[in-house]
Amino acid sequence: MSRLRLLAGPDLSLGAERLHAQVERLGPLPVAGAALIDTLEASGLAGRGGASFPVARKWRSLAHHSGGAVVVANGAEGEPQSLKDRVLMSTRPHLVLDGALLAARALKASQIVLYVGEEHRAAWTAMAGALAERPEPELHRARLVAAPHRYVAGESSAAVHLLDAAIASPTTKPPEPHAAGVGGAPTLVQNVETLAHIALIARHGAGWFRSAGRRGGAGTVLITVAGAVPSPGVVEIEAGTTVREVLELAGGTDPAARAVLIGGYFGSWVDFATALELPLEAAALREHGLGLGCGVVGVISSRGCGVCETARIIRYLAGESSAQCGPCFFGLRALADACGRIAERGSNPDDLARLNRWARDVRGRGACRHPDGAVMFLQSALQTFAPEFSSHPAHWRAHATGRGVA
Amino acid sequence: MQSPGWPRFLTTSLHRNLALMTLVFLALHIVTAVVDPFTNLGWVSAIVPFSSYYRTFWLGLGTIAAELVAAIVVTSLLRGLIGHAAWRVIHWLTYASWPIGVVHGLGTGTDAWSAWFFALTCACVAAVGFAVVYRLVAGPRDPLAEPRASFRSGVERKPEP
Repeated sequence: MSRLRLLAGPDLSLGAERLHAQVERLGPLPVAGAALIDTLEASGLAGRGGASFPVARKWRSLAHHSGGAVVVANGAEGEPQSLKDRVLMSTRPHLVLDGALLAARALKASQIVLYVGEEHRAAWTAMAGALAERPEPELHRARLVAAPHRYVAGESSAAVHLLDAAIASPTTKPPEPHAAGVGGAPTLVQNVETLAHIALIARHGAGWFRSAGRRGGAGTVLITVAGAVPSPGVVEIEAGTTVREVLELAGGTDPAARAVLIGGYFGSWVDFATALELPLEAAALREHGLGLGCGVVGVISSRGCGVCETARIIRYLAGESSAQCGPCFFGLRALADACGRIAERGSNPDDLARLNRWARDVRGRGACRHPDGAVMFLQSALQTFAPEFSSHPAHWRAHATGRGVA
Repeated sequence: MQSPGWPRFLTTSLHRNLALMTLVFLALHIVTAVVDPFTNLGWVSAIVPFSSYYRTFWLGLGTIAAELVAAIVVTSLLRGLIGHAAWRVIHWLTYASWPIGVVHGLGTGTDAWSAWFFALTCACVAAVGFAVVYRLVAGPRDPLAEPRASFRSGVERKPEP
């Protein structure tokens, strides 16, 4: 396993690193106020929750408020294929707390919330234990809140909605959480991996952060390798490392693999040969019309079926709609039905035409980006698995094996 | 309205496309009325209600109806900016715009009282009247209410006392 920076230190099987051990290894939490925002800007750090939004820009949008801001450390990790947030929280909880504390101090926030997926037991225990070890008064007052086990629960407005109204469903924007979030206060919702990077950048500086990274990428990235690889799991890589190199870290590449899902369920399928040379770095992927998303790299083998796997995932995403917007709820369900008919009963031109047409109709029609993410995933499948979609037999393989391949 | 070939969300697309089509006809109506040399209405009367020398009141109603429609279009385009609640309130103005437009047509329509046009107007008013009464009697029926409630019960986390 590759452990460069966030996951450096004691073996991960030892569980959560204690506070004194981290202080011994990395030194105490540095004093850094609002000047940290400039350092973050120089580092080029982008959010690791899925949107790859520049961190400094997000913080600046909160920096000029009159006080009482809220910092939410987002460890909901609702993406089924992703493991990196829970691995980070359960082994290096103090890095996450450091990052949350630095954010709270730089933005003069009065409240810190740790929003952790309720089913991530080890992460939950580690974060609770780490909180109890901290001497800082801000962390004494911090709340540890359970994120429901649903895909949309980690969306920033859903997190705010849970804290305000006890319901983790996304709300319409505006207002964005950074303008009016928890209790109407400006709210920073930041992924836990992003916060952990901030804890290291505050100690070592922007230049140090950028000293890792290849092919234009800056810093390191946590990647979850899933599917048809010998040892799936979380690896820490330099940004810009290619998919081929990442798969080698996960035990080697199967030359006969069919395709790679990059970025998780809101990501894209990419033909295997093309995927191998892609650098895992947000800007470079954007040039290919792709995104790093939450850092999932999922491999589907030559024995897997892209159509059946896509049908399974789109059915899952349709079920994860919060049923607030018609086009999302009814549209994704209709797409899942059409895709399921092709998977189950075989390819037919009517359903193929419907998938292509309705995918365009659904996009941009929800209060949040859930329908957009699902549809972009589907469109990548229609493109990458075009031969399979046009000549699919009636086999429904994902169902037959009982589990997903990617 | 739904079937495997016509899932429910397409009905909302139909709503949008029909509305866009009526906009095209409305624009045609306004432009041709203004440039028509017979009445010589001028652009001001298309924008400022009750400013026309010609059938001041009835024409003014048309201007108001068109401006309500313009407000609905603009807020729909800016929905992401103004928020869902404000958009929805303004969208209800459709219910004000339409009857005003009908009265405008009856008051100043060239063919308003010819048999074919009057029959058409009556049919439209009857159809809308029926829909409104049906809605009032049957109550609002939100097809998303049930799935939304079931989703909510899954993501509700009351804080422990």
